[in-house]
This record gives sequence, structure tokens and C-alpha cells, in this order.
Amino acid sequence: MVICFRSSDSVAFSTSSLQHERSFSRRRWRRWLTSAPHLLSGRQPSKGFQIKNSNGYPLNAASLQDGLAENLSAEESVEKRSKDGSKQNGSTVSITIVGASGDLAKKKIFPALFALFYEDCLPKHFTVFGYARSKLTDEELRNMISKTLTCRIDKRENCNDKMEQFLQRCFYQSGQYDSEENFVELDQKLREKEAGKLPNRLFYLSIPPNIFVDVVRCASHHASSPTGWTRVIVEKPFGRDSESSAELTRSLKQYLTEDQIFRIDHYLGKELVENLSVLRFSNLVFEPLWSRKYIRNVQLIFSENFGTEGRGGYFDSYGIIRDIMQNHLLQILALFAMETPVSLDAEDIRNEKVKVLRSMRTLKLDDVVVGQYKGHTKGGKSYPGYTDDPTVPKCSLTPTFAAAALFIDNARWDDVPFLMKAGKALHTRRAEIRVQFRHVPGNLYKRNFGTDLDKATNELVIRVQPDEAIYLKINNKIPGLSMRLDRSNLNLLYAARYPREIADAYERLLLDAIEGERRLFIRSDELDAAWALFTPVLKELEYKKIAPELYPYGSRGPVGSHYLAAKYNVRWGENS
Amino acid sequence: MAFSSLKCPSSRFAFPPSPGPGSRRVAAASPSPSRPPLPRRFFSKRISSRSPRNRHWSVVSMHEAATVPLSPEKEIDLKVENGVASAISAEDNRDLAALSTSKKDSTVSITVVGASGDLAKKKIFPALFALYYEDCLPEHFTIFGYARSKMTDAELRNTVSRTLTCRIDKRENCSEKMDQFLRRCFYHSGQYDSEENFAELDKKLKEHEAGRLSNRLFYLSIPPNIFIDVVKCASKSASSANGWTRVIVEKPFGRDSESSAALTRGLKEYLVEDQIFRIDHYLGKELVENLSVLRFSNLVFEPLWSRQYIRNVQLIFSEDFGTEGRGGYFDNYGIIRDIMQNHLLQILALFAMETPVSLDAEDIRNEKVKVLRSMRPLQLENVVIGQYKSHTKGGTIYPAYLDDKTVPKDSLTPTFAAAALFIDNARWDGVPFLMKAGKALHTRRAEIRVQFRHVPGNLYKRSFGTDLDRATNELVIRVQPDEAIYLKINNKIPGLGMRLDRSNLNLHYAARYSKEIPDAYERLLLDAIEGERRLFIRSDELDAAWALFTPLLKELEEKKIAPELYPYGSRGPVGAHYLASKYGVRWGDLSSEH
Repeated sequence: MVICFRSSDSVAFSTSSLQHERSFSRRRWRRWLTSAPHLLSGRQPSKGFQIKNSNGYPLNAASLQDGLAENLSAEESVEKRSKDGSKQNGSTVSITIVGASGDLAKKKIFPALFALFYEDCLPKHFTVFGYARSKLTDEELRNMISKTLTCRIDKRENCNDKMEQFLQRCFYQSGQYDSEENFVELDQKLREKEAGKLPNRLFYLSIPPNIFVDVVRCASHHASSPTGWTRVIVEKPFGRDSESSAELTRSLKQYLTEDQIFRIDHYLGKELVENLSVLRFSNLVFEPLWSRKYIRNVQLIFSENFGTEGRGGYFDSYGIIRDIMQNHLLQILALFAMETPVSLDAEDIRNEKVKVLRSMRTLKLDDVVVGQYKGHTKGGKSYPGYTDDPTVPKCSLTPTFAAAALFIDNARWDDVPFLMKAGKALHTRRAEIRVQFRHVPGNLYKRNFGTDLDKATNELVIRVQPDEAIYLKINNKIPGLSMRLDRSNLNLLYAARYPREIADAYERLLLDAIEGERRLFIRSDELDAAWALFTPVLKELEYKKIAPELYPYGSRGPVGSHYLAAKYNVRWGENS
Repeated sequence: MAFSSLKCPSSRFAFPPSPGPGSRRVAAASPSPSRPPLPRRFFSKRISSRSPRNRHWSVVSMHEAATVPLSPEKEIDLKVENGVASAISAEDNRDLAALSTSKKDSTVSITVVGASGDLAKKKIFPALFALYYEDCLPEHFTIFGYARSKMTDAELRNTVSRTLTCRIDKRENCSEKMDQFLRRCFYHSGQYDSEENFAELDKKLKEHEAGRLSNRLFYLSIPPNIFIDVVKCASKSASSANGWTRVIVEKPFGRDSESSAALTRGLKEYLVEDQIFRIDHYLGKELVENLSVLRFSNLVFEPLWSRQYIRNVQLIFSEDFGTEGRGGYFDNYGIIRDIMQNHLLQILALFAMETPVSLDAEDIRNEKVKVLRSMRPLQLENVVIGQYKSHTKGGTIYPAYLDDKTVPKDSLTPTFAAAALFIDNARWDGVPFLMKAGKALHTRRAEIRVQFRHVPGNLYKRSFGTDLDRATNELVIRVQPDEAIYLKINNKIPGLGMRLDRSNLNLHYAARYSKEIPDAYERLLLDAIEGERRLFIRSDELDAAWALFTPLLKELEEKKIAPELYPYGSRGPVGAHYLASKYGVRWGDLSSEH
């Protein structure tokens, strides 16, 4: 068996997506040619990859369109080249983690890279660079990250060997985030390691959002690949509202084209979120049920069983709605509710997701409940309230819990409530999608259910974490001489069915970025549409200084969420 | 989560009383949990006696398809002609009486005719004991064994006690309960065609009934050629004077349309339709009972339940042993009559029927009859038959069917058959229903497989290769052994690639329900005692079933079609695959997973 799962059929997938990309860009190119031929005169589209190469100055927003087209076509030739090149002695990937000393880098990014290396999923030639302000030697970086590199549970063999090999490819460059000089130094070091191979460069920005643009500017001016591709992975937050997000996008696009920006939403890399489309589109039995005709409501639930625990500084300026709902849960919702895409290609899927987001009703204050956890003493142990966190202002109104009812005003989903719930310091840690079906019309067994038919409806649960599972609750006869019914599960427990450890979301996303697979990354128009839904309510909450409902640490959250659900005749799925 | 928290199994009728006046559904009503449940028929009959139309409706509908139409007047005639029927048409009155007399004043006498036989020992007595152990029998009951052999009560108890077993999960008080049970078992020796002997039985029954309102159930565990004799004697000399009298009969119900109709006619000389309980023990199996629950109490299945989504349905029965020296009876019938025409066809009818008006026996059986009557009679080219031959494996020699000493050397009786059936109605037009039944195969199982169509315009088709049909969903209901329901779905294999596989959404009964599942006979006996006819086969159902198979069976015999031989312990004749592939079907039980 091939160790790297991707190898066999991703060949088929990636070639086709490449073809698609090509035809796509050609189409756009042609359209652009006919619509604006005068723009062509200044630049040779096939010449420079980086925008700076063509005119030396950042493009303004007005000519982005043309830059994009140019770049697409440039990338086309680059990919062609890199494809040809890699067949001979060729290409290499340099992965620079900007903010290498940060928490995310240590806990997620380096381990994910190592896991990919361990599974032989990285290109043959690759280099990993850490970049941050602290002075570190290569050795010190290796030391630091080696502590968090762990091998997959089921195959620890050669782990040390592999780890050594991996660490040998890790280097460190210290520098300021806004120093073009320092990035020039980085560029030199990168070149050294690339040793004349066709260089492709991936920058992972694991830094606070206020320095995104500085880094992108420096990197694109001085450290982007002259001949191969240059891609930048950015993590949330992507602004705090429509305006700031648009501003960030505009700024990024001064230095990067859409295709170079990889906005990560790591929930999209979760195994069961990936599987959502497979479930829907590769099984006959689900799609006929996937509409308002049979689905009563959909619930997207995220809960953590811990609070900010002294690290609330970042969180306090965003709050749970921005931190979880507007991105993770909304992305899952869009994947869940989208129409069948033309193909599995990134652009086709993202087109459908945007359509869902744009069909959605803007969220209203009436349809939102916010909460904040307060201190709680249980079994002699006291749990701190959110405002007890020293990094949080005492008078903070930031919600640590929110529930919302959303609606998609299209033919498929008209009037079906999509309920979201996200919270910190709740009684359990989980993320799941619950699909509650309507009751059986004219149920022959209604007497067995008592008066509340809605209690006995089918429910499909996709448990994203922990303990991945898919199960369908069905009504079933309890074995025995009586005709008593109960709800049993048609069950697929991942741990039982798939003994292999499930890859971390970051592994998938990093690999996708390296391979140029954009399916799981968020496009600018998606982001705009997502913010458009939430911005008015976020502003209203802040403007009106709506006080969150307090709930005890470790509880099931504020009662308000039940009223909200009840307003739309929904009962939250059990244990939530 | 259980929707009803009642413990005793007979709480099956513990639905909250429905307010509808005279509704047949009230038949399913019963007292609140605090009161001991009354047998449901009391309610049912009370209702019907209030609204006689209901009762006649059921009689009329029964005879719509039957050969001998019975009008209410005819029923009265019958009553006059023989004393038996009088007991029946007086049932309404008696029911009222039964209601007024408290439960303590009625008794049930269960007579197992053919008590020394194999079925009686292995199934009927143990099932009765299990019901007793679970407190499902009425407070007063008596069990009589009746057979030709001379035996004392003690001897019968001795024989019976050897096969009584307690449910695995509660062995406490078992021997105590067993003693109590055995004390209620008696024996009467007599000839099957002697009215005198039955009169003696009647006397003994009366003794035990001790003046209570008597209800009598006869279980005919005897060869079919003496059915009528026993029914005649029992009805004339041993039927209840003031309670009900019911007769349970087991297959075979004839060998073809004519003999079956003759048997029905014979029975109906002495019994009315409502007294005849034709058992098909497959209908008592837990997962067959559950089939209707799955379909009608879940929203997610019914929308898929038609030709639009279902590609084919497979009904599979296999045994991993042959006739093993007991082929005498079998050779006369063959696998088609023994398994297909009854068990598999009954499951098919339940599977394919339209939604009934209610769960009442007549409503369900009406729908089943409609399915059977919509079916195309089976054609010879849609049938493959086989017979097992001997096979040596690992030093052991497994005998051929013809090696069985009780089987004629030149027997052409099929021990295996596969058939493709079609229901020509709006729901199922063009969907092949494939049946397969065989002895001496490689495995023992009974299951229903529903193969769905492929996903139109499948986005993931490249992940499946060229054969989309291999990657379709499949719902499997495994009736035995190891009861389970599972739905095969395509799923992404966890990992960085996009590889798909088929996983199961699984409901494994042993894991979900710790209680042992009761034997089919327990359910059916209890139903007969309670007058619940849902799982018994009505005369018109039987006629329709025979009508489908009789022409084929005759053709097979007239043309002396030789069965395809297959080795003992194999997967059966290759012909079954050709038959399936003729309709674009792949047998689900033979895929790589097994």
C-alpha cells in the first residue's frame, strides 16, 4: 500500500484541476483581451510572475483585475514549468514559518510538517525556515521544535531517524517583521538551500493580524520566488467586520493575487468536514432527503470545556461570534447547504459556497443570544469567570457564548432554521453537525410515541470532534414480544472502523497549499459574504452594549439559547 | 430511550386509549400501566360488537379474493349446520360476557396435537414455557399434549422438561418456574381421527377449566394429511362451549393452488376464517417484525422506498446443512415450496406493501394481498434450481442429497432455487426482487438486501473506477443469525488523500440490545392467544401466493427439469449468477466482504 494516501488518485485529481485552472485562466485571459486590449500594451503577460517584476510598484486596486489575469496565466506557465522541471532534477519547496517562536507554530505547524514528511507526502526537496524576531540559532530552533514533533501512534518505527532527517532540513532566520532588509537576508539563505532548483515558496503567517500586511509586503518584494510559485497562508482573524476585512484583503492584494492567498480555516481540514461532501454526493440515500421537504432544522454546535485561562487578550477584542461562528461554523454550514457543484474543483465548490452565503438572510439581533461565563464552584474547586482573567478588562461585554438562528432564502432551504451554538467554558468539548428530520407524516406508530411526534424524528449526527463518528438515529422496535419502539443508532464510529490515527487538519491544509489545491481555503468573495451576514449584528451588539447572559463555568450555557431555539420550534440535540 | 416504559411484554398493547369511537384502532388499546393488561381481543370484540359493520367488513373483505364467498347469512347457516361455528358467531356475545366476568374467570387451554413430535418438543413447549416465565400467559391456563403414543402426564413432563430452557439473561427461579409450568402440563393419548378420543379430551379440559370461561387453542403439529381429521374431531367434540376456539396450523398448506384451496375448503367446513391461524414462523422473527417499524416510523427510509431509488431487492435464505437423513418430507415438497413460496414471499410482501391504513391485522393483510396480486406469475426462465451433491473437504465426506436414505435415488427435488420476481405496480415496476434459498450451502443466514441505484452524475466517479454499480448504497437487514441492520455508505477514508470506501452505518442487535431476542414461536403463540392475526396468513393471501408459484412448480415437474448440481458446502449453482446478471444484479451476499 502506498503510504502517502494522496499519491494514487490525487494524480488524477490534481491533473484535472490543473487543466481546469488552465482553461479557466485562458477563458479569463481571452475575455480580458477582448474587453481591455489596451492594458496589454504595457506588459507581457508571460513574462514576470510577481507584479513587482512587471512595473516595480504595487498595483492599485483598479488594475487588480488585470494583475490577476496576468498572474493566472503566469502561474499557468509556472506550473507547467514546475511540472516539467520536477520530472528531471528539479524543483524544491521552501516553507517559511513567519512567527516560528509562537504557540501555533510549535504546537501545530511544525508537527504537521513533520507528519507530512514522515508520511512521505512532502516533495523530495524541501526546506523549512523559521522566521521570527528572537535571536535563535538553527540548533536552538531544532531543539525547540523537536519537543513537539510527535509520531503517529500506529507507527513509531524509524521515528527518531525520520525526526533527525526532518530537523536537518529546518533552519532559522531572525528578523523584524517589517524589515525589507531582513527579508532580503532570508531570500539569500533560501536561495542557498534551493541550490539552483526551481524554487517554490510557501509563507505561513503565524503572526498577529496587525503585521500581516508588513510581512506580506516585505516577503513579496524581497523573498518571493523569481521563477516558481509563491504562496502565503494566513490564519484568522481576517478583520473584525466587513470594512476591516475588506481593508485587509485590499492590502494583501497590493502585493499578492487572489491565487497566492491561502486563507486557512482549519475546520475545513477536519476529516468529517471533508467527508461531508462525500456523504452527500457519493451516496444515493442522503441527497433525496437534503432539503426543506425532509429536514426540519440543522444544528451546528461547537463547545469547549475550558475558558480563556489567562490568555483572553486576543479573544476579548473578537469574541466568540467572530472567533468561531463567522468562520468555522459558517463554513461548515455553507458546505452542508450548497447545491451540487459542477465538479470537485476548488473554484466550483467555492462558487457554490458563495451562493449559499449570498442567499442567506442577514443575521438580526432578535436571532442571536450572547452569553459570558461567570465563576463557578463545584466539588470544592472554583472555576474563574471570564472577567476574572487578568488579560480581560473587568467590564468586558465580550460574548464567550453565542447562539444564532440563520436562514437561507433559497428554494432548497427556505424556512429551515440553521441553528448555531458556540461557547467556551461549557460542560463538554465537542463540535458536531446535527440534522433533524421532520416527523413521519401520518405515522402509523404515533401511539407508540405519545403526543410529541417531534421527539421521535430521525436525526443524522456528524461528530467532528472528539471521537469522530457519523450516526443516524432511527426508530426501531425493541426486541421482544411487545411493540415498543426506541431510538437506536445506525452507527459509524471512526475509531472502530478506521484504526489509523486521523490526520490533523493542519497536515491536510499545508499539503493542499503546497499542491496548490484551493478547495479548503477561503476565497475573498466568500469572506466578504460571510462578513456581510454578521457585521450588522456585531455592530449592533457593540453599539447597544448588549450585556451577555451570564452562565456558570462548566454549565450548558445560557437559557436564552433554548428560548431562541424554541422560537423556531427547535430542540437542541441531546447533550448540547 | 424507550417510548413506553412498561416492562411486561404484553404491554405491547399498552398504548394510551384512543378516544375515537368505534375505531378499529382502539383494538390496540389497553388499560393503563397500573392495571394488569387485559387480552386485547376483549377490547377489540367489544368494539366490533358495538359496530357490527366493522366485523362484517372484515369478513367480506376476506372473501373478496376467496373462492367461497361467505355472507353473514352463510355464517349463520354454518352455525346451524355444525355446532362448531355456533361457538364462533356467538363470539360477540361471549366477548361481552368475557368482559363482564373478570379476567380471573377465564382460562386458556392449549392443546398441542402431535405432542410427541419434534417441533412440539423443540419449539412449542419451550416457547410456551418462555411465555410463562415472562408472565405473558393468562393467569389460568392448561397445556395438553395429544398424540397417539401412550404416555402418562409424568412421562410427558419428563420429555418436555428436557428441552425447556430459561432465557440466558435471567436464570433465577428457573427450576422453580419450570416445576410450576410442568404441573400445568397434561397428556391425553388418542387417535387423530377419533371423535371419541377428542370427547375424552374435552372432558379432561373441562375438568381443568373448572367452570371458568374457557378458551381453547389447538396447535396442530402433525402431518398435513391428518389436518382435516383433527380439525373435524376437535371442532365437533372439543371446541369451547362458551369461549373462543382457535386452531394453529403449520405449513405445508398444500402443494399447489388446488391442494391448498382444497385444504382451506376442508378447514372451513369446520372453522371460520377467524379461527384459522396459519403460522409462518418467519413472520415472527424480530427483524421481520421490525421491517414495518423501520419503514413506517422513520422519515428517512420511505422516500427511498420505490423504483426511483431502489435497483433491486434480494431475499436470501441459506442453510449450511442438508436433509441429514430426514429428507422424506422435504423430497415431496422441495425448497421452493418449503422456503420461497411462504417465508421469502411473505417477507417480500411486507417489504413491498403500500402503507396500510393502520397496524391492524386486516389492514396489513389487505396490503400484503395487494402486493401478491400485483405480482407477475413466476416464469420458468426466471428460475434456477439446484441440488447438492457430495463433497469431500479436509478428509470429511459430505453426503449428496441423493445419498440421504429417505430420498429416492432419482429425485429431481430442488434443494436450491433462485428466482426473479416482479411487482407490476406503480411503486415497483421493473425492480427485480431476487430470491435465493438453499440447503447445504457454505453459510447459514437469512437476510434482506436492498441495493440502491447509483448516484446520478456522481462527482466522485473517478474515485470509484468504471463500475459505478459497485459503489451504490445497500441496506441489509440480517434476520439471522446475529441480527443486524446496516446501511452501506460511501465514505472518505480518513487521511490526506481522497480515497473512498464503503463503510457501514451499523445497528448490531447484540451490541445494542442485551436482552435475548425471543423465539419466533413465542411471539406467534402469544398472538394466537390474544387473537392478534397480523402475523398469520389469511386464506386469500395463501391463494395469491400459490397462484404465483403453482404454474412454475407444475412446469418443473412436468418437464422433469434436472436441477444443477452443486457441491455440499459451496455457494450454490452458477446458474443463480446468470439469472441475477440477466437483470443486472449482483448477489449481495457473495461480494468480497464475506
